[in-house]
Amino acid sequence: MLSAKLKYTLLAAGLTLGGFASGANAASYCADGKTVTFAGIDWESGALITEVMKAILSKGYGCKVDSIPGNSVTLEQATANNDVQIFAEEWIGRSDVWNNAAAAGKVTSVGKTFVGASEGWFVPEYLVKGDPARGLKPLAPDLKSVSQLSEPKIAALFKDPEEPSKGRFLNCPSGWTCEGVNTAKLEAYKLTGAYVNFRPGTGTALDAAISSAYLQSEPVLFYYWSPTAVMGKFKLIKLEEPAYNEACWKDLTSASGKREAGCAFPAVEVAYGVNSTFAKEAPEIIEILEKATFPLEEVNASLAYMVDQKADAVAAASQFLKTKGAVWGAWVSTAAKARIEASLK
Amino acid sequence: MFPDSFHISIRGPINTAVQSLVVNYGFVFKAVSQTILQAILFIEWIVRGLPWWLVIIAFMALTWQATRKATLVVIVAVMLFVIGALGLWDLAMQTLALMLMATLISVAIGIPMGIWLAKSRLMRGITLPVLDVMQTMPSFVYLIPAIMLFGLGKVPAVLATIVYAVPPLIRLTDLGIRQVDGEVVEAATAFGGSPRQILFGVELPLATPTIMAGLNQTIMMALSMVVVASMIGARGLGEQVLNGIQTLDVGKGLEAGLGIVILAIVLDRITQGFGRSKLEDGQNG
Repeated sequence: MLSAKLKYTLLAAGLTLGGFASGANAASYCADGKTVTFAGIDWESGALITEVMKAILSKGYGCKVDSIPGNSVTLEQATANNDVQIFAEEWIGRSDVWNNAAAAGKVTSVGKTFVGASEGWFVPEYLVKGDPARGLKPLAPDLKSVSQLSEPKIAALFKDPEEPSKGRFLNCPSGWTCEGVNTAKLEAYKLTGAYVNFRPGTGTALDAAISSAYLQSEPVLFYYWSPTAVMGKFKLIKLEEPAYNEACWKDLTSASGKREAGCAFPAVEVAYGVNSTFAKEAPEIIEILEKATFPLEEVNASLAYMVDQKADAVAAASQFLKTKGAVWGAWVSTAAKARIEASLK
Repeated sequence: MFPDSFHISIRGPINTAVQSLVVNYGFVFKAVSQTILQAILFIEWIVRGLPWWLVIIAFMALTWQATRKATLVVIVAVMLFVIGALGLWDLAMQTLALMLMATLISVAIGIPMGIWLAKSRLMRGITLPVLDVMQTMPSFVYLIPAIMLFGLGKVPAVLATIVYAVPPLIRLTDLGIRQVDGEVVEAATAFGGSPRQILFGVELPLATPTIMAGLNQTIMMALSMVVVASMIGARGLGEQVLNGIQTLDVGKGLEAGLGIVILAIVLDRITQGFGRSKLEDGQNG
């Protein structure tokens, strides 16, 4: 059933793990009865991945697992303090809290949670191309770049009901890392006069606003990222931005940086954020995290499953574990794989 | 484990219902939302447009009117000044506008409802459990449909605030009217008062202190909703608190929290003052 390559990987993993088990440090982190606490990040992909990894550690390795809810900055801080051990979807380089903790050696990033994530400013496809099936004419057929957003007729499309003279740009929720970047970009693109920098407060509110506008075929301009269910569910167009360069990005992400020119988001590096002390204490878990890269299409598929079936992250995680043994089987030892599979029955 | 065969779920139908409301009747909610929004913007335009000292003087005058205590008038002025000094003036005015709007609508709904409840045993039986639900349901549950139907921002914030803040006013109006001495009402009836005359001439004036206590509760609950309301994009002090929490900026959160507390104390003293002076009028007159 398993491919030769997979077998080889499993064998290698089994040997290394076995090596640890028989060494002087044999009493592993989990065998000592210590709990592995995950950051209870609540955006869809983060929640799904956290649940999958929790299930793998608890069923496969007998770890006590827990997660504490909170927003990303708080949980990053908690990871630095070792109140949280694993932050399952850390977008490296985006947060001052994280960067400072990493510089101070309190946290470290391990492996790659997934590869190929992206983010940017989006509008619905029907706005640019129309949608004959729903009888929609393209309201902004030429719109393709952020540089066009300052045109009065484009800004008027996204009219903010509370300040009708301006358009509404749906930013990230107040306090998220991306909110700061987007606010800096609005300034850099000289859009502050034409747009209200609207921060919805929570991710759920942002999602609800986007879905509501989409269902009513209304124009809406917003920041979003992938992998997400919204990306899978709706047809969206990403607006072009000037190419990424390091100097510009540095200015955009630091509080005191210049706001003269904007540029695109850099390619994203998404990794497991881990507390450094924990990383030393639990090499066997780090080993698993290093291998555990979720293929992006599997994440999107699982997120779509969550939305379609109205399943929560726990249900989606167990669905993922049941159907994608070939994917996660490569991350764990043969014995652990057998234990996890047995627990799913 | 509870047997699966008894499992029922209202999730699917409710989600479908909300979605079809949004798709088919979105424009109706947009229109309602526009009306409320214009009213909020008007109040905001007043309180944010007035010079700060005029707002403080207005509050001082209200406090004097309500309490006749010079010390309290000075304290109110100082506290409002502190809000300004903390750099929170504009945010506080936005919060005040939202809260006033929510309170106005709550009064328009709550007092007639309370009277109706006092007059009809059946109505009371139906409404009291609904009020319980309104007060205990976690507010986020109805915030999400509110966003889908009314968009993000001030309008759903006001509506969610009303849902949370109106129950005490209804309850206390009902209580106040039912507590009016039966003999007084009998006497008024004997003198040939019509039900309308008895309501406005006897019952409502006598119930005013209780109703004012209800209004006071409503205002306090509306203020306590501002942080939650900011989760759906309402600006003001609540957003600063939320931002403070989300960025671990304790100082920022505390400053804005202090602003909310000051607003709460000022409004509480004023409404309580009005309630008390009515009570004394009632006893002296």
